[in-house]
Amino acid sequence: MPDQFDADRSGHPGGAGPERFVLVGYGPVGARFADQLLPAVHAGLATLTVVGAESVDAYNRVLIADYAVGRTDRDALEVTDPLAARAAGVRILTGTSVTAINRSLRTVTLGTGEALPWDRLVLATGARANVPTLDGVTRVRHNLLSPPAEAAGLDSADAPLPRGVTALRDLDDAQTILAAVRSGARIVVLGAGVLGLEFALAAAQAGSETCVVYHGEIPMNRNLDRGGGTVLARRIRQAGVSMVKHARAESILFHDDGVPRFDALICADGKQIHGDLLVLSCGVGARTELASLAGLSVSTGVLVDASLRSWTDLGIYAIGDCAHVAPRPGPGASAAPPAGGPSGLIGPGWRQADWLAAQFRAELAGVTAGPPLPPEPDSVVMLKAEGVDVVAAGDTRPDLWDTDKADHAAGCGSGRVSVSQWADPEHGRYVKMVTRDGILNGFVSVGMPRTAAELTLLYQRGSELPMDRSLLLRFDGPDFEPSAGANAFASDATVCWCNGVTVGTITESIGGGQTTVACIGTATRAGTGCGGCTGRIAEVLERFAP
Amino acid sequence: MDSATSTHCPYCALQCAMTLTAHGAGVTVTGRAFPTNRGGLCKKGWTAAELLTSPDRILEPMMRRPDGSFAPASWAEALDLIAERLSGSRAEHGADSVGVFGGGGLTNEKAYQLGKFARVALGTSRIDYNGRFCMSSAAAAGNRAFGLDRGLPFRVEDLDAAGTILILGSNVAQTMPPFIGHLDGARAAGGLIVVDPRRSATARLTDDGAGLHVQPTPGSDLALLLGLTHIVITEKLVDVAYVADRTVGFDELRRSVGAWYPERVQAATGVPAWQLRQAARRLAAGHGTYILTGRGVEQHVDGTDTTTAAINLSLILGLVGTTHSGYGTLTGQGNGQGGREHGQKCDQLPGYRKITDPAARAHVAGVWGVSPESLPGVGLPAVQLLASMGVSGGIRCLLVHGANVVVSAPDAKQVRTGLEALDFLVVSDFFFSETAALADVVLPVTQWAEEDGTMTSLEGRVIRRRRAVTAPPGVRSELWILHELARRLHSPSTFSTDPAEVFDELCRASAGGLADYSGLSYDRLGAGDESDEPTYWPYPAGSTGTPRLFLDRFAHADGRARIHAVQNRATDAPAATGGILTLITGRLLEHYQSGAQTRRVPELANAQPEARLQLHPATAEQLGVVHGGWVNVTSARGIVRCRAEVTLDIRHDTVFLPFHFPGDQSANRLTGGATDPISGMPEFKTTTVRVRAVAEHAEPEEMRVYA
Repeated sequence: MPDQFDADRSGHPGGAGPERFVLVGYGPVGARFADQLLPAVHAGLATLTVVGAESVDAYNRVLIADYAVGRTDRDALEVTDPLAARAAGVRILTGTSVTAINRSLRTVTLGTGEALPWDRLVLATGARANVPTLDGVTRVRHNLLSPPAEAAGLDSADAPLPRGVTALRDLDDAQTILAAVRSGARIVVLGAGVLGLEFALAAAQAGSETCVVYHGEIPMNRNLDRGGGTVLARRIRQAGVSMVKHARAESILFHDDGVPRFDALICADGKQIHGDLLVLSCGVGARTELASLAGLSVSTGVLVDASLRSWTDLGIYAIGDCAHVAPRPGPGASAAPPAGGPSGLIGPGWRQADWLAAQFRAELAGVTAGPPLPPEPDSVVMLKAEGVDVVAAGDTRPDLWDTDKADHAAGCGSGRVSVSQWADPEHGRYVKMVTRDGILNGFVSVGMPRTAAELTLLYQRGSELPMDRSLLLRFDGPDFEPSAGANAFASDATVCWCNGVTVGTITESIGGGQTTVACIGTATRAGTGCGGCTGRIAEVLERFAP
Repeated sequence: MDSATSTHCPYCALQCAMTLTAHGAGVTVTGRAFPTNRGGLCKKGWTAAELLTSPDRILEPMMRRPDGSFAPASWAEALDLIAERLSGSRAEHGADSVGVFGGGGLTNEKAYQLGKFARVALGTSRIDYNGRFCMSSAAAAGNRAFGLDRGLPFRVEDLDAAGTILILGSNVAQTMPPFIGHLDGARAAGGLIVVDPRRSATARLTDDGAGLHVQPTPGSDLALLLGLTHIVITEKLVDVAYVADRTVGFDELRRSVGAWYPERVQAATGVPAWQLRQAARRLAAGHGTYILTGRGVEQHVDGTDTTTAAINLSLILGLVGTTHSGYGTLTGQGNGQGGREHGQKCDQLPGYRKITDPAARAHVAGVWGVSPESLPGVGLPAVQLLASMGVSGGIRCLLVHGANVVVSAPDAKQVRTGLEALDFLVVSDFFFSETAALADVVLPVTQWAEEDGTMTSLEGRVIRRRRAVTAPPGVRSELWILHELARRLHSPSTFSTDPAEVFDELCRASAGGLADYSGLSYDRLGAGDESDEPTYWPYPAGSTGTPRLFLDRFAHADGRARIHAVQNRATDAPAATGGILTLITGRLLEHYQSGAQTRRVPELANAQPEARLQLHPATAEQLGVVHGGWVNVTSARGIVRCRAEVTLDIRHDTVFLPFHFPGDQSANRLTGGATDPISGMPEFKTTTVRVRAVAEHAEPEEMRVYA
């Protein structure tokens, strides 16, 4: 079914000259790929053309919420050195769209009409913010449309969002929001996913009145169980953000002073939530229209195999938020859509970019390529927000008392599931640990930062939990500091670090007739190093003197 | 009649000042006022003189007999044999068949003379030293960033006025205890930040509001530093004017740390984001801020890059080369600083010169009276040098001075095998160290109280070691041994036996180099037996030395420091299941290095007679290990059998072994031979091991071999 091109030098009869790479997309993942391919460009083994729709060089989207509330500078968003890439001969076209991939000609067509030839095409087109169905907002069905020649219209097509309504995805969005935050606007965030919550908390911290509207019972409902979500909502409220749950947004009410401007969000139950700016945070969708139109297999992203090659065309690759990694179906496989999809997280995207560029470098240099790209473990999701700590990973659904069902659901022989849980909603603390045969398989941690950090390491490594699970809770408790509350006059408590002298040794010396700090020093060497403990020696002396 | 001599402690790089009083029965040690130790000494210092009269001391040259035992020999016999074997090997297998292994405990004079002896008398490039295991990553990072490597480019007592001190991977409270007095100011200000996977004695100094203990998982230090740098940049805490005026490379750094936001660092290190933010903000808060690194972050395959990350953080905060703040690395061995300046390193000539630099070769050859062309080129760094023993084309004869590689080198079992495969091994030591026990000839040498010389302390201060007592009659100084061997080898240069003369020659050889001592002499260092002149290098002729470096410029041609962006390597920490854990190694208060000396001091040996594996109670429970019970610790390289010490002072995914002990308690039987690509520093601090409880009398799982 898929036409199998021989990617090796397919567009290059005789294999003469450097391999021509075209990279579509110049976000943080694309930029990482370009940086990592530079050595091959320097060595004359490859040429690289980068086409980016945004009018600026790549920047770090992870920090966009911080930037949108004025917490950090534009400079801090830089993740690549475009000057170095250009100096190496990389052609970087910003503000440029690709309107078509011509697989038989091995070219891409740019919005300018130019056709760029390639031997390998790498798609890093990323994802765009989802625009929910709301009366008053036009939804664009991108996959049915050719990309516009004008790069600026890549996501809005001919239907820009109304005034006072924005997503939070790119620098333009961030600048719109920054202006609102600075003017003290009241901000309504629609959607309680990670990005929406991070932004709402940052905006509240920057002084904006902020409200998060979400349907369902709990925020981050894709990642958290009910307990964790409930405690999290409470913590967020304590941080000054209003949380409106069970709110099914239906339409938008506009001010109309010539040009309509956002006034309120109207929910199915008639609730009106007023504000100056509506920030849509309803997830993202991969930009796959180019791939679809070129006839590449697409599901929730461009379908690629474990080596990031398109299922359909072996000369085309996809990485980052536009890539859906799934095994290529064998003959006669079911036509059901493959599981999984883009993670939407930057870490896996960077790992893909690094790995793919390393593969290309090795191949071009004629050396043995490194190991295959390891399958991406289930992502650890955490909120980048100061003062509200939530981390979750893996399977968090099994219930404390209901693990038989979880065992069964996971299939026979897949191991014994058990759940340990700690909940203290009043103080905003909640931890749930799900293990399979003792190995951490999923967890939620709210309001317990140190515990969360340790659980993250254990989870990522596939480690066993200590039999006494409560150890992991105590990291955030006062008794974690073993010395705190310890008896400073216990016989084995060290007094003099320089000479390793304990309370016991000093009391023996006192028993032996020593009566001053100096005498004790002569007898035991306590206090004869840095001298920092002479006060402590005096205390011991006072307490144990006959 | 009693006589008092002012000298310094034989052990660590703090070089505490002490007074030795010789009397009929021996020598009494007392502390002496000095800015670093202020009259105090630690347990090791107080007991140092016991080794002068140790019954274990070797008092005449020992030669191995055909049956494998040792018999005393005269100096003439021993030296004749050595000269014959070395020249024979050279004639048959080439000059590079003879290796020399030096130490960071040797005086400057000995270190200098050893480097000269190798290059001139032996003509070999194969010289390196145990400092490769300690300081080479920090040295490489310092040279790369500042153009010069002096461990602390400021005085130790300058730390007293600091409000914030960040210590990364150093347990100073046990390794150089009197140093901690200089942390009191920062502790009083609540500003001591200690980064260590263990709740070490030093980490405890942060208790009770004195600061912050940051406890990352082993091997994640670089990610931690990238994270702190990220926070400083994103929160606009950078010293912008300093970065613009005094550094190059900031933009690249900014881009390289963009990806290391606190939550990602949390996931990589186990350190919560709030703690990272708190630490970064504190570092930027002013009041005099110092960042200090130690072996814990340096002894890794990415040690140079990790140290560089610490330097980068210091530079963007504007700390280095100011009157109030700074960055430094805490040199460990007594002369670990001087030992890396005067030609023991495989790529260096005296004065911290590069052996590949034609001008340096010409200058040094001029001082030595030989032709520059006759000097060999770059040799092999320590791990590779030792790995070449018994290997075709490798070294066949080895001279060891001031080192006990059987215990101190990584992959110790392989090192032992290599030593056994040598044609000829000569060890100069006071005792039958584990390495000496494998030698063909053992030469007894003088101890610190029996010799004159100079040491360069961790703050780059050149100090005098003074002779307090006469050495036993059969014992000789290494200067004398090298002189005698050079004569027998018909060396084209001269080798003085007088330390003052050697020092003068060293000063001439160093003139114009980075570590320039040319303005120094024994007179200048303090003529009488009492004084200690504050002499910090660089000390070119006509100057008065340099207590604080870089105040006006860095040592690169343009005067600016280099910010060198570094990347985190992917870590693949093992899954902690079935007893798989990460081993880290380090020191105990009572012992020094391989323990060859301190294990022979009864008071120290009684306090810490054996290696104990530290592990967390939860880990112990899981593995069925009890406090004081026996465990086997295995890695891909070897096995250690010892008792367990169950303690809350360590992370649950980590175990700790001290590296002072020999035989089947030798931590370095477990460590591997991977090295840093820039410095040649071996990876000591993250080794994957499996821990298993065993019965007390269980048979060890491999042959026990004792020499």
